[in-house]
Amino acid sequence: MNGKRIRMWLLGFCAAVLATTAWAQPKPVELEFPSWQFEEPGAGDYWTAIIAAFEASHPGVKIRKQQIPFREYVDKMTVRFAGNNPPDIVHLPTRNYLAFASQGWLAPLDDELATTDVKQSYTKLADEMNYDGKTYGVLMMGYGMMFFYNEKMLADAKVAVPKTSDQLLKAIAATTDANAGRFGWGAPTNQHPNVFVEIATWVTGEGASLFKGNAYNFTDPAVIKAVDDFRAAVKDAPKGTSSEQARQLFLDGKIAMLRDGPWVAAQIRKAPDATRPYLKMGPMPFAVSPGGTSNSLHMPAKLDPAKKKLVWEFIKMTTEPQWQVKFTTLTSSPAPRKSVMSAPEIAGNAELAMVNKAAADAVNLFPQSVAVRENFNEFAKIFVEYGMKLIGSDRPTLDIMKEMQAEMTKRVPPK
Amino acid sequence: MGSVARPARRRTLARRERRFAYALLAPAVIAVAALIAYPMYLIFATSFREGKSLNFLALNRRPFGLGNYRDVLTDGATWHNVYVSAAYTFGTIVPAFLIGLGTALLLNQVFPLRRWLRSLMLLPWAVPGVMVSIIFLWLFDASFGVVNYALRSLHLISTDIAWYTTESTALVAVIVPTIWKSYPFFTLTLLAAMQSVPVDLYEAAKVDGASAWARFRAITWPGIRGPATLALVLNGLWAFREFDIIYAATAGGPSQATETLGIRAYNEAFSFFYMGRASVVGVLMLAIAMLFVFLARKQLRKEFF
Repeated sequence: MNGKRIRMWLLGFCAAVLATTAWAQPKPVELEFPSWQFEEPGAGDYWTAIIAAFEASHPGVKIRKQQIPFREYVDKMTVRFAGNNPPDIVHLPTRNYLAFASQGWLAPLDDELATTDVKQSYTKLADEMNYDGKTYGVLMMGYGMMFFYNEKMLADAKVAVPKTSDQLLKAIAATTDANAGRFGWGAPTNQHPNVFVEIATWVTGEGASLFKGNAYNFTDPAVIKAVDDFRAAVKDAPKGTSSEQARQLFLDGKIAMLRDGPWVAAQIRKAPDATRPYLKMGPMPFAVSPGGTSNSLHMPAKLDPAKKKLVWEFIKMTTEPQWQVKFTTLTSSPAPRKSVMSAPEIAGNAELAMVNKAAADAVNLFPQSVAVRENFNEFAKIFVEYGMKLIGSDRPTLDIMKEMQAEMTKRVPPK
Repeated sequence: MGSVARPARRRTLARRERRFAYALLAPAVIAVAALIAYPMYLIFATSFREGKSLNFLALNRRPFGLGNYRDVLTDGATWHNVYVSAAYTFGTIVPAFLIGLGTALLLNQVFPLRRWLRSLMLLPWAVPGVMVSIIFLWLFDASFGVVNYALRSLHLISTDIAWYTTESTALVAVIVPTIWKSYPFFTLTLLAAMQSVPVDLYEAAKVDGASAWARFRAITWPGIRGPATLALVLNGLWAFREFDIIYAATAGGPSQATETLGIRAYNEAFSFFYMGRASVVGVLMLAIAMLFVFLARKQLRKEFF
C-alpha cells in the first residue's frame, strides 16, 4: 500500500467516524413558549431565570421564548390552536383559559398534580383552574389591584395622595394639563382587552358589581355611578393608549396616577433616574380592593409524549417553593403558594406587605359564571366595544350600559 | 376512395389535437382546482355548519342548515360592515388614484434627479401594512402625535383629536395610511402607460396650440385609460379585502366604526369561534367582489379583450 492510498483510507475512516458521531448526537429538543411577559421588567427576569435553570438541568432541551403583545395575544393563541399548531408551553391570562379548555384544547393535569403538593399548598384562587371536574392548569398569580402615583406631580398640583374615589377624581383633574402633555390618569383608552379590567376596577372598587349571581347587572344605579366616575377619570387620560403605553407614560413622568397590578412595582425599579424617586405604590383609593387571578400555565391536549414529560417538568418547576419565592421577589407580586415567605420576611418588606394585603382583601372583578368564562373572549370584545363608547362619546352612561346589557344577554347568555 | 377516407382521417386528427390540447391544459386546470376551487368549496361547505366550534375536525359534526345565512344577513351589523367596506374601498382608491395620476404626470416630465425621485416615490408600496399602521399610529397619536400638534399650532383645532378611538374619525384615520401605501401602484402603472404614448402627438398638439388640459384629455387619457381601469379594479379588490392596516390600527373599533367585512370574518372565526358565520361573511365578500368585477366587465372587455 503506498502512502497516498493509506492517506485516502485514513481520510475515509475519519470521515466515517465523524459522520457516525454526528448522526449519533441526540437531536436537541426545543419547547416553544409564547408569552406577553418576556419584555416586562420583573416578570421577564423571572422567566429568564427559570428557563435558564430548566435548560441547565435538562441538557439538550431548549425553551424558545416568543414575545407577543398582550393586545393580540389571546387571538394569536386562538388561531394557533384552531390551526392545530399549539405551542408546547401554554401561557394564558387566567380569565381566558376556560374558552380554550372548553374547546378540548388543553390537557387535564390531575394525574401530574397528584404527584405534587399543589392542591394542598396553593391558595383558594387556584380553584379557578378547575373546570368540569378536572384541573386544566397551574395558577401563576392572583393579585389585588394597586394604585401607582407620581409624588412630585401630586405635590406640584398641591394635592394629597387620594384615599377615596372622590379625592382621586379631584386629584386627577388637578394634575392634568393636556396642553403641556401631562395627564392625571393613565388607562387603556384604545381597543384593548384591559378596558374591561379598568371599568370593572372602578365598579368593584366602589362596592358595586357588574354581575348579580349568574346575571348581568350593568344598569344597577351603583354600577352607573361607578362608570360615571370612570368616565370622568378617563377624560383626563391620554387617548388611544394601551395598558403598556399608559404604564410607560407613567414611568416617563407624563401621567400622575395609574391603576395596575403589583408587577408595575418591578418596572418602577427600572424607570428613568429623573422620575424613579417620585414613583410610588399604594393601596387603591377605593372602599373595596379589586383583584383577581392573573395568568396560568397549561399543557396542550395534543402534544408529543416526549415533550409532554418535559413541559410538565417545567410547569412543576414553577410550583416549587424556591421558584415561588423568586417569583415574589422579582415581580413584587404574590405567588399562589400559601406562606411562601414567612410573616417576618413579609413584614420587613413594606412593598410585599402591601401587595400581600391587597391580594388577601381582593374581591374578584372577573365574571364567575361558567357560561361567561367559557366565552370570555366574546364577552370582553363586546364589553370593550361599549367601553369605547363610554370613553369616546358624551352619550348618557345609562343608555350605553342598557344597550350593552341587552346585547350581552343575547350574545353571551350568562347561564 | 381516397376522397372518402380523407375526412375520416381529418376527424381523427382533429380529435387527437383536441386531446393533446386538453392534456396540455390539464396541469393548469388541476392547479386551479386545488388552489381556488377546493378552498372555495370549503368556505361554502363550512358556511352551512351551524353553532360554535373552532375545532376543524369537529366542524362536520355540527348541524347543517341555513341558520348562519339567516343570522348574518338579518344582522344590522353586517350591513354596517358592508357600508364600512364600501366607504373604505372608495375612500381609498379615489384619492390614491388622483395622487398616483398627479405624481405620474409629474414624473413623466424631464427634470434633474428624476430617476431618484421615481424610486423614492415607490417606497411606501414596499412598506408592510403593519409597519404603515405603526407609523401612522404615532403621527396621529391623540396626545403626543405630530398631526394634532400641527393642527393646534395652526389654530385649526383647540383640543386634541383621538383619531383612532373616536367613532367619527377612526375610518378616516385608517383610510389615510392606506392611501399612502397604495398610491405608488397607480403612479407606477400610469407612468409606464404614459411613456408608451408617442411624443410626436404632444408636439403636434402644441403646434396646433392645444392647452395642457386639452393635451391631457385628447392624448394622455386615451393612452392610459386601459391600464388605469385595470389598476382601479385591482386596487379596489385589494382595498376591499384589506386586513393588516386596519387590524393593526384599530382591530375594527371603536364600536365597529372600522369593522370591514374582512375584520368581521376574522372576529367571528377567531374571537367568537363561529366558523360558519365567518364563512358566510366570506361568501358575502366573494359575491360583492364578483359584482364589482361584473360591473367593470364592459370597460375591461373594451380595453383588453
